[in-house]
Amino acid sequence: MRRLLMAPLSSVGRSALGLAETIGGATLLFGRILRALIPPRFDRDETWRQLYGVGVKSYAIVVVTALFVGAIMVIQTAFYVRRTGATSLLGYGVGFTVFAEIGPILIGLMFSGRVGANTTAELGTMVVTEQVDALRALAIDPIRYLVVPRFVAMMIMMGLLMVLGDGFAIIGATLTADTLIGVDPSVLISSLLESHLLDEYLLGLGKALCFGVSISVLSCWFGLGVRGGATGVGRAVNNSVVANAAAIFFIDFVVGWLFPVGL
Amino acid sequence: MIEFIDIHKSFGPKRVLKGVSLTVDQGQVLYVIGSSGAGKSVLVKHLVGLLRPDSGRIILDGRDVTWLSEAEFYAVRKKCAMVFQNSTLFDSMSILDNVALPYRKHFRLSRDEASRRALDKLALVQMEDAARRFPGDLGDGLRKRVAIARALTLEPEFVIFDEPTTGLDPVAAANVDALIRSLRNDTGVTAIVVSHDLRSIFSVADRIAMIYDGNIRLDGTPQEFRASDDPVVSQFINGRADGPMKI
Ligand SMILES: Nc1ncnc2c1ncn2[C@@H]1O[C@H](COP(=O)(O)OP(=O)(O)OP(=O)(O)O)[C@@H](O)[C@H]1O
Ligand SMILES: [Mg+2]
Repeated sequence: MRRLLMAPLSSVGRSALGLAETIGGATLLFGRILRALIPPRFDRDETWRQLYGVGVKSYAIVVVTALFVGAIMVIQTAFYVRRTGATSLLGYGVGFTVFAEIGPILIGLMFSGRVGANTTAELGTMVVTEQVDALRALAIDPIRYLVVPRFVAMMIMMGLLMVLGDGFAIIGATLTADTLIGVDPSVLISSLLESHLLDEYLLGLGKALCFGVSISVLSCWFGLGVRGGATGVGRAVNNSVVANAAAIFFIDFVVGWLFPVGL
Repeated sequence: MIEFIDIHKSFGPKRVLKGVSLTVDQGQVLYVIGSSGAGKSVLVKHLVGLLRPDSGRIILDGRDVTWLSEAEFYAVRKKCAMVFQNSTLFDSMSILDNVALPYRKHFRLSRDEASRRALDKLALVQMEDAARRFPGDLGDGLRKRVAIARALTLEPEFVIFDEPTTGLDPVAAANVDALIRSLRNDTGVTAIVVSHDLRSIFSVADRIAMIYDGNIRLDGTPQEFRASDDPVVSQFINGRADGPMKI
């Protein structure tokens, strides 16, 4: 009986400890990254390599996600638009939800699944094969050489991909509106332009940059913390994906709360 | 000079080192021997700060390095290089870039100049032909030779070789032995070599230390090892299956 009661409690306790450890560790890592950035002392070559790698890995998935996000927003609103004939609101509705909310979240999630998981696996493998220790033994700081370039690359790329994604979401919405409910592209675009969504657009961009920070810091932290061979790498990738998703929703909530737009 | 003073190290309940004391004089090559899992790799990693002792002190070149911070250890590591037991090449880079990396990071050399010097180091281990290949395409023995070249890039005064000839063919192993000998004779490098390779040991070592059960069992010249009547030592260096050694 006692054990029956204690088991869930101790599991809650363990999760809380794990959470505290993750937040504490990731914050420390973030601090060390900032210290390496001011003044900037990190590896330029590796940063270029990462920028290229991150971009190549993720642009296709972002484009596809964005096209569908735009299309889905139109499908969701199609019913009301058809019934009320309020086609002039379609551009506003799509733009508002995509720019400020759905776009950053979905692109952030795709990015973390693609780039974040990859980073954790790569750094984790470098830890278990002692490549990270080998760097240290060559007097090269793994933070400056491995982590900061990934941090910079992911942040820049999240921003660029968000701009790209917003564009393709509008394309997806326009195409769907045209074929599904017969709203002419020009109607949707002009409705979008007239809705003055700059705040929403910038908010979404700001969220994307925050996601870039959290994804890079968390995935590097989980990667560098790997212990115990291939199973350890698997476990870390798993934890990293879950933590990244949770962080994305949490950051989205906090940013949306601090900077309410469109009210 | 390198001094380990009464080093204790445990991993959880597992006591690996139980008070190891060891001295390597300037310009000497010390071979560390002992069965698998005896703690040879653990011991040498303390010297470059990759592991920290539970107690004890480590003196390198007259300076107590035991509790230096990670940042302070970077200066020590430029002086004291380490070749890992598993070759630990960076598998995202070519062989040449692996060896050129320390040049680029520490001497701020141009890419061409760094590559040129890296090729010189690769030539020391007869690996210059593999420069454009990637670590994943090479076998263990070849990778290990590249790792040796990479460790020598910073012209260290002290070098740790963790099983440098394991997995090498006899000719390549003899070449590595010759390289270690010439590092000592020509550049005055002080080296610790972890090895099971009896032929290397007796052809290169100035001194030998055997780790057994967390302690130094015997520390002496090759002649003293050959003449030792300690049953554990003689079982090990004669490679006999039956004897008092606990495995
Ligand atoms: N980071 C670590 N965490 C936990 N245990 C470790 C760690 N490093 C080494 N050990 C343990 O310490 C013991 C000694 O390991 P070590 O690698 O030093 O052996 P070794 O003498 O080098 O053997 P080998 O000849 O096989 O390389 C082993 O039992 C190993 O499992
Ligand atoms: Mg070993």
